[in-house]
Amino acid sequence: MAGLVLQNLIKQYGTTRVVHGINLEIENEEFVVFVGPSGCGKSTTLRMIAGLEHISGGRIYIGDRVVNRVSPGKRDIAMVFQNYALYPHMSVGENLAFCLQQRGTPRAEIATKVAQAAETLDITSLLDRRPSQLSGGQRQRVAMGRAIVRNPEVFLFDEPLSNLDAKLRVQMRGEIKRLHRLIPTTTVYVTHDQTEAMTMADRVVVMNHGHIEQVGRPLELYEKPATTFVAGFIGSPPMNLLPGTLSGAGDDLGLTLENGTTVALRGKVRAGVEQARSANVVLGVRPEAVGIAAQGPQGVPVPVTLDEVEPLGIETLAYGSIGRTTLCARLAPDVALQAGAPADLFIDTDRAMLFDAETTRALT
Amino acid sequence: MSETAEAGPSPEEPPVVTREPHQWLGAALITPSLLFIGLLFLLPMGMTVWMSFHNWPLLGEPRFIGLENFSELMGDRRFWSSIRFTALYTVLVTSAIFLVAFPLALLVDRPLRIAGFFRTIYFMPVVIGFGAAATLWTWLLNPDNGVFAELLLRSGLVDAAPRPTESFWPALIVVILMVVWKQAGFTMVILLTGLQSVPDDVTEAAKIDGAGPLARFVRVTLPLMRNSIILALVLNVTWSMLAFDQFFIITQGGPRNSTVTAVFSIYLQSFSSYRLGYGSAMSLVLLVILVAISAMQMAIVNFRKAPE
Repeated sequence: MAGLVLQNLIKQYGTTRVVHGINLEIENEEFVVFVGPSGCGKSTTLRMIAGLEHISGGRIYIGDRVVNRVSPGKRDIAMVFQNYALYPHMSVGENLAFCLQQRGTPRAEIATKVAQAAETLDITSLLDRRPSQLSGGQRQRVAMGRAIVRNPEVFLFDEPLSNLDAKLRVQMRGEIKRLHRLIPTTTVYVTHDQTEAMTMADRVVVMNHGHIEQVGRPLELYEKPATTFVAGFIGSPPMNLLPGTLSGAGDDLGLTLENGTTVALRGKVRAGVEQARSANVVLGVRPEAVGIAAQGPQGVPVPVTLDEVEPLGIETLAYGSIGRTTLCARLAPDVALQAGAPADLFIDTDRAMLFDAETTRALT
Repeated sequence: MSETAEAGPSPEEPPVVTREPHQWLGAALITPSLLFIGLLFLLPMGMTVWMSFHNWPLLGEPRFIGLENFSELMGDRRFWSSIRFTALYTVLVTSAIFLVAFPLALLVDRPLRIAGFFRTIYFMPVVIGFGAAATLWTWLLNPDNGVFAELLLRSGLVDAAPRPTESFWPALIVVILMVVWKQAGFTMVILLTGLQSVPDDVTEAAKIDGAGPLARFVRVTLPLMRNSIILALVLNVTWSMLAFDQFFIITQGGPRNSTVTAVFSIYLQSFSSYRLGYGSAMSLVLLVILVAISAMQMAIVNFRKAPE
């Protein structure tokens, strides 16, 4: 068992740099999820860890060993691919056995290990089938079986659930977590789905444009996003980001929004004001910190026109416009609101955050 | 979902069912192909069967002689030796083409811009007709003023211009060289499509599983391109079994009729000895042999159904 260290990791294609010197330490048996939009460099980073992509700069350690020049087969890793990448001409059993055969494991031992892995993943009855005879979920399980059968130091998952339907995705999410509890192994999991990141990770690494935006436990990212990017990426619906200008001081301290409304800043959010380098800031407020008068208003009213009201059963989401930005409120399911009508949405600034408009970094 | 709100048919009306396309349309569409097959394959084949039961000179009256042509054929040493020679040629030339085409396919299967250029270069001889290519090689091989002789003499590798068509193995080898030069590009393209049909992530999975280049090629790439290999094999075997032009033009069957192929001997009987009936009987025997070989290859294809 071993941890994983990325040291100033760089990937460059010609003169185009796609990963800009990443530093990260992943502890032994930790489950780390890389999340970010497509093209953010998360898959490239994973492929460098796997050895499928040449490392342009920096170092990768697995345990104490620098693996930059070690071939994928000798890194003692296992990878689950987005399209499963099962060997189509081999049976499920042969798929599981292949890596052990390549390492010259004795036949009897292979049989035992394959049987064990198959039992763990409940695919014993499928061992004689070809991948083409399996459903998506079953193929996913075989791909995981191929990874666990060799007991690697590190598991790598490259968007493994993106080809499954929504229901199966939730089920397999649980199964991967269960597997990780059963066989605690250092795991790097890449996804573009923030829900997967939040539900599965011990720690989440949010990437954007080849940089790490923030590393932290899921709730940490939710409650204290380091940048507006993280704030807008984590959470569904994401944090409202309202650009504005600081005005006044002391008890009159306020923020003038795009539509001219001035929101008085009270409570914890004031702490950030001192760090602001200019008056241009972004107010970040989670939809659950936005309310309406009928719910017993907390905070400052902002007049908006409601663009959309979405009753979801468990809650109702209301969207209003402030200038060019949208303000989303997460409300009780029984509120009576009508799209197109004017309304006052109340922003609870005590639960809000400030970001520097220029650097996009949090000011708290 | 049998009705829509805006269409508003009464609930009693049966839902509209779209008619199946007319069956005669299908028949009409396949008629040209049927005509082609009928006129250019079935009719001549029937004609051949009919002629094989006759003593059928080029001029003069055909005479029905039953199975006499076939019984004569059974004891015809020259015909069977031409079949044996054709089989030898087929094995050698097919192996040679694969030995050249496979490395070429691996070479041009790279994400380099120049690979496309070489793909075209290697494929170019394929578009030349067999007769033209053979004639070209006859000139190249000419011991008195051919390019090969000139090159060999100037480089000092030989003292006298080689005359390959004057003995059996050199004659066979130069024909094989010519056919490999001309046909390897075609097999390369077929094998290339096979190579490119192997998904990248499967190859990567094999890398992570610890398979080296050789193990990956043998255990993953080769089995996954099986269909292309079999297609290339069937085509090469069939074409080689029907070889004619290259021997007719380069060796003219010599030396001492040792490079007469099956089709060549059919040609000689039919158009040199004017025994069209006997030639037809030979054609039928060759057809049976080819069908048997193809059936065997098909059986191998179906032995393990190809993965999707």
